[in-house]
Amino acid sequence: MRGLDTSIRVVHMKIEIQEMTHNKGRIVFLDADPSIVNAIRRTMISDVPKMAIEKIEYHLGAIMDEGGKEFESVSPLFDEMIAHRLGLLPVPTDLDVFVFRSKCVCNGEGCPNCTIMYSLNKKGPCTVYSGDLEPLGDAKFKIKDDLVPIVKLNENQAILAYATAELSTGKDHAKYSPVCGVGHRYSAKISIDSAKCDHDARCIAVCPKDVFSKEGKKIVVAHPERCNLCMACVESCELNCVKVQEDPQRIVFRYETDGSLSAKDLLMRSLKILEEKFTGFSEQISALQE
Amino acid sequence: MIIPVRCFTCGKVIGGVYEEFLRRVQMGEKPNEVMDALGIDRYCCRRIFLTHVELVDEIAPYG
Repeated sequence: MRGLDTSIRVVHMKIEIQEMTHNKGRIVFLDADPSIVNAIRRTMISDVPKMAIEKIEYHLGAIMDEGGKEFESVSPLFDEMIAHRLGLLPVPTDLDVFVFRSKCVCNGEGCPNCTIMYSLNKKGPCTVYSGDLEPLGDAKFKIKDDLVPIVKLNENQAILAYATAELSTGKDHAKYSPVCGVGHRYSAKISIDSAKCDHDARCIAVCPKDVFSKEGKKIVVAHPERCNLCMACVESCELNCVKVQEDPQRIVFRYETDGSLSAKDLLMRSLKILEEKFTGFSEQISALQE
Repeated sequence: MIIPVRCFTCGKVIGGVYEEFLRRVQMGEKPNEVMDALGIDRYCCRRIFLTHVELVDEIAPYG
């Protein structure tokens, strides 16, 4: 350990929550290091578990309806492709209830603690939607977005299948990643040198995010939080009066969930997982030092 | 073929709003405004809507 700086740097960071809806979050970290924010991002992507459909059993051969009419178990898409599309659907997940199938008390056989079963039964001509997946048991496990087209069926075509959802993490497959569009960047520091400005408003016209506005003749920075640091205003201003800088003290972190977890639950769970990891790591280090 | 369930790039579930998008565009609304209203904000998801060709109906008879 010689030559290695093992001193712990205490970071007094503050958090400002700007938006927290069911599936979207926008948080500003003040006085934090990008590596800390990135750790949360990576944990959200690959370590927070969620349920997704993993196994599908198709009924093959003739399918009869109540009137005795016979349908063929075929569809325009291959069964594998339908299975893939079903796997990508957001399955509502309660992380306090579900456990990993391999670590469940049922020894991986499948029980209500580790799996959700769905049935899919539809006869053509029609479009099969995600809402047609019926959970066997509690109706609260119905797929979050019920209008996703799965496959289209023609005359005399039908689908009868049973699907099993289980818990896993994004490391295993991207369908188990509860987050989408997650990223962080520095906040923008924008200033206008009004002494040099000729009030031509080129920067207002060129800004894609409507950051600037006009107050009388003067151009003001009305919405600095919208700026995505594209620098179009700096390039448009021939007098060099607009200045856009990154502010390392303010890191904007944005994420969206796919609907299986709420944005708040996802954030809390990712922090909990990070904490567990660091605790385990420091225990291992202290075991080494002994 | 058929609209992807998720965006290839960011993983947002986009399949569920595609039919509404199509209906509204066919009614004469501008595609960019419909996508804004449906919450399809990023350009990765938008390109999937704009460039999608629905071919599943032409393949269906050969299933």
